[in-house]
Amino acid sequence: MVSRRILACLAAALTVPIAVGAARPAFAQNTLKIGVVNPYSGPLALYGEEMTRGFDLAIDRVNAAGGVMGRQVQAIRGSATNPQEAIAAAEQLIGRDKVELLVGTYVTALSNAASEAALGSGKLFWETNALARDLTERGLPNFARSGPSGDTFAQRSVEGVMKLVAPSLGKAPAALRVWLEHEDSAFGTSIMKEQERLLRAAGVTQLGIGSHSARAVDLSDSILRAKNFAPDLWLSTAYVVDHNLLLRTAREQSFRPGAIMLTGTGDTFETLDALGKESLEGVLLVSYPRPDVGEAYAPGAAGFLAAYRAKYNRDPIAPQSMNAYVGMRILLEAIEAAKSTEYEKVIAAAALMDKPFGAYETGYGVKFDKTMQNVRALPLIAQWQDGRVRAVYPPEAAGSPMSALARK
Amino acid sequence: MADLLQILVVGVLLGGTYAVVSVGLNLIFGVIRVVNFAQGEFVMLGMYGTFAASVATGLDPYWAAIVVVPALFVLGALVQHLLLRHLQAEPAMQIFATFGLLLLLQNVVLAISRGTAYSVTTPVSQISVGLGPVQIGLSRLIVLIAALLVAGVLWLWLQRTMLGRAVRAVAQDRRAATLMGVDTGRVYVLTFGIGAALAGLAGCLLAPLYTLSPQIGTNFILPAFAVVVLGGLGSVGGATAGGFIVGLTESLAGYYIDPALKHAVLFAVFIAVLVIRPSGLFGQVGAEEVGLREQA
Repeated sequence: MVSRRILACLAAALTVPIAVGAARPAFAQNTLKIGVVNPYSGPLALYGEEMTRGFDLAIDRVNAAGGVMGRQVQAIRGSATNPQEAIAAAEQLIGRDKVELLVGTYVTALSNAASEAALGSGKLFWETNALARDLTERGLPNFARSGPSGDTFAQRSVEGVMKLVAPSLGKAPAALRVWLEHEDSAFGTSIMKEQERLLRAAGVTQLGIGSHSARAVDLSDSILRAKNFAPDLWLSTAYVVDHNLLLRTAREQSFRPGAIMLTGTGDTFETLDALGKESLEGVLLVSYPRPDVGEAYAPGAAGFLAAYRAKYNRDPIAPQSMNAYVGMRILLEAIEAAKSTEYEKVIAAAALMDKPFGAYETGYGVKFDKTMQNVRALPLIAQWQDGRVRAVYPPEAAGSPMSALARK
Repeated sequence: MADLLQILVVGVLLGGTYAVVSVGLNLIFGVIRVVNFAQGEFVMLGMYGTFAASVATGLDPYWAAIVVVPALFVLGALVQHLLLRHLQAEPAMQIFATFGLLLLLQNVVLAISRGTAYSVTTPVSQISVGLGPVQIGLSRLIVLIAALLVAGVLWLWLQRTMLGRAVRAVAQDRRAATLMGVDTGRVYVLTFGIGAALAGLAGCLLAPLYTLSPQIGTNFILPAFAVVVLGGLGSVGGATAGGFIVGLTESLAGYYIDPALKHAVLFAVFIAVLVIRPSGLFGQVGAEEVGLREQA
């Protein structure tokens, strides 16, 4: 009796995350079903949901214009918070829901696992947001990435070091002293390695590299190690929660480098709430293009913002949604060109696409390299200014000039 | 020298954090013999309760303890009365039950928060005190002082009150305590309630330091188990001392070796202590056997 009660309790607890992805509307026979693998539970659920909003908006747009190959498109969600769940979600979407291809993801590890599962079933896996370089270097024939890779985040950050930070601090690149901090998963490590390589090539002095776990309870040691070297620039790649803890600890330990640049996160209200606008003033961010980027750089960004507001009654939570929106648009164009959802044909059609920068709402163009990485998808550099995130680089995207880099 | 001083202070402050999280866990383990995997989730509930109370009232989050601590006491008492009481003779099932509770609480909070990471703000968390070369965050100092006060008050309560003696009697031998007229069922409910309330207090104290997420409790629970085992099973003083040992080990290893290796160093120390002294550094020899003894 008691054991049954406990089992029921455990079953209820285990059922909740699965139920997140279970609800789905009815659909017509001829609908083109696309499986979306993302975290819809767990600490990254907010961003999985935000990305999917971008997918849904792109699908709404295409459906309103008649669909793809004359078929209406529908996204079906599969929730995953770890690689095992990603494989299960991919297999369930393909086997039970009969999706014709898969898209995703917010997390590299999920993309890695789900794309291999998709290949096992002979399905396309289209990546829009996961960053690690390795994803496109595995040589999976069913895999393409429409958004920026971690390498481009690293390249943009080093561009910012050379063109924004060094001049602003009045230092030649060779005299600039940089500390590199990163969280220790594939996401943070791969970006850091590329940053290290590029900074070395540019002759910038690297004082040291700090690695930390995103789940650490205390990061004083990481901050104190960096503080000891009094760097001109503290360049960090991490998730939201550990970036917040690092910045709080930096404030607590009076760690005030000449400039702070955050790669990947730190650009949402979650960081603003944690730190307050005074503590964030001047912090640079390497991030996805935002909907408030100028129309000259990113035509249609204002239209995306209006559509998002109309559907969700609020501004985007994070720029990941617009990146996902553009990724879905490129995918649907590739399917239309291929006249098929078979991965060989879609990949071949995508490989032939050639669109200049500025073709989409993020300012991206389309040109895939031989690994099926879109090389015309680049992040921006933004800056916290008076509690708002403003694009400051490249100049054609900048909505406002860069303000002082020093933090209070 | 200044570096060493600073990192020792960081370690002691971190030790305060671990001590305040672990003291309730240790009390529950010492008395009821339950390895409560959901203890971190009680801390998480304390944090979210602090956030909710702070937003609802506009008061400084530290005031939330007035509401959160009694609420967690009631929750803990209910968990013991409605769930664990029925599994008294099945220790393994008790562990599964607390693990189920962990998942349930995480997912309920996730469903409510939709995964949004919230932060609790207080002017205190922005104040850092400089003592020569050493910087001390005021909110961390508050946690340390509270950890010491909680340990002291709990120790006094266990040593000097009839109820405290009853709790210790049940911890030593449930059957003998029952024969002496102690209402063991009531002691269990009270103990689990106090353990959960202490986790709630820890949540109130830690909320201004962290970004809240439904999984944040699991970040604390692994080091907290290390604290309990290192310090001594069922020992209030041991939990406090264990907190400082873990905090200092992590800080020194993180600073002088590598932050990425600090948990590896911590658990190497943990294993070494277990091999040399299975009852923990400050636990009564044989306590680890008591922990496994049937308490039917």
